[in-house]
Amino acid sequence: MSPTETSTTPTDQVVDTSYPFAAVPPQDAVQRYVAISAERPMTRMTMPIGGDVWVIHRNAAARDMLSDPRFVRKPFRTGERAVPYFVEFPDFLKSTIQFEDPPHHTKLRKLVQKSISPKRVRAMRESAVEFANELIDAMVAKGNSANLVNDYAVALPIQMLSNLLGVPPEDRPKFQKWSAATLAVANMPEDEVVQNMTELFMYLTALIEDRRKNPREDLLSDLANAPDKDDSLTDGEILPIAMILIVAGFDNTANFICSGVLSLLKNPDQLAVLLEDVDAVAPTAVEEILRNGRMAIYDTVAGGGGLVPFVATEDVEIDGQVIAEGEAVLVDPASVNHDAVAVADPGTFDVRRKDNPHLTLSYGLHHCLGAPLARMEMQVAISELFKRLPDLRLAGEAVVDDDNLTQPITVLPVTW
Amino acid sequence: MPKVFYVQPDGTERVIDGVAGDSVMSTAVRNGVAGIVGQCGGSLSCATCHVYLAAEDQQHFDAPSEDEDDMLDCTASDREDSSRLSCQLILSEGVDLHVTIPDEQA
Repeated sequence: MSPTETSTTPTDQVVDTSYPFAAVPPQDAVQRYVAISAERPMTRMTMPIGGDVWVIHRNAAARDMLSDPRFVRKPFRTGERAVPYFVEFPDFLKSTIQFEDPPHHTKLRKLVQKSISPKRVRAMRESAVEFANELIDAMVAKGNSANLVNDYAVALPIQMLSNLLGVPPEDRPKFQKWSAATLAVANMPEDEVVQNMTELFMYLTALIEDRRKNPREDLLSDLANAPDKDDSLTDGEILPIAMILIVAGFDNTANFICSGVLSLLKNPDQLAVLLEDVDAVAPTAVEEILRNGRMAIYDTVAGGGGLVPFVATEDVEIDGQVIAEGEAVLVDPASVNHDAVAVADPGTFDVRRKDNPHLTLSYGLHHCLGAPLARMEMQVAISELFKRLPDLRLAGEAVVDDDNLTQPITVLPVTW
Repeated sequence: MPKVFYVQPDGTERVIDGVAGDSVMSTAVRNGVAGIVGQCGGSLSCATCHVYLAAEDQQHFDAPSEDEDDMLDCTASDREDSSRLSCQLILSEGVDLHVTIPDEQA
């Protein structure tokens, strides 16, 4: 695609539909995304690393691709080809379930998903509420201001995942320190990251060994003692699962809790809607925070981003565009979440939005394994915070680490 | 055209004209029926398209497979005898279906 295409809106205003695009004000970014997806289902672009990739803009086309088994990740896993992306993927991620295909993917996923199923997560909600309130108690006891990242948003997901994996309470401080090394928000020097990750690996290996001998009701026990020969997993298979849960479960969730709180503080009218009936509105508010992403937070937003790519195993036509055998394809969540065909009035941040087919947690075989847990944690974190501290407000500018791929909020100063 | 009657937990009903060969889940998702998420796209790995199938419609389907049965144990709302994952309920010509959506899905 040429980078200079334009499109006309119903008001005959010319909108630049080149993609990717440099940072523009959020409303302009939305307008561009709407025009791009109206004009074409996808754009072929060259990534900073790994060559060319098709980037899908239309919500329905993205769902078609994500649920089509002819798109796989094997060539990335084996190293046959580089992953076309904005940054290099760490090798340990390529050995995880995220880069597996059926049938091995199915086996791994089946073993883990029961432990993070909607049912299990519902049973965890009460303890999440209790823990969120303990954190708020501690913040209030210290004074009338806090950095919400450290004092709240990171602590809650770590506690939930420790419970899920079966990390004993006395080991939690160590576990939190090591796990923080995997967090973008921690911003740790490289040698410290390596040392912490090594200690985390050693700790988990020992814990898996213990759970094999002394099983309890937790995920590591489930994995270490999978029921029959077909399902049995080696430590080499269990470790990457634990690691990806840590990486995905802490960092992304903490990040979304922060961006959710910040989106609400920056949109007082929507915060007022939430405060009218926090428990009732929180579920749709969380979906809207996931859909809206960076739009309600930043002064400018650049166009470009992506979920992990796939490779076509044969020529496949998606929404009129052929993706040739061997070509890579990915979904830009910001783009498909602002496709006006799928999402009415996509530029509006609406915490009561009912139809919200966002793809931030992906779709299909590789949809976010922890989605029910992430949703519950976000709902609880936001509900409890605003119920307890309805006058919460910003006490300074939020700090965002733009050098990091996930652009995490590293400092979120608040007062009440 | 087979029709699907979707009843929300509050009793409101939506009727969608479906296409034979499509599932109750994909028909719901395509038409924006609230309460059916179907995040895994029908690959039996999310338990977010849980529905209660009307008694008179159960004759049209085989009992849940082992994989569906496993996932039905993972649903957010309680499993009942009529519980099915709607991605496994495929529409047929001349057969209308009636499903009730549970309180919680994910």
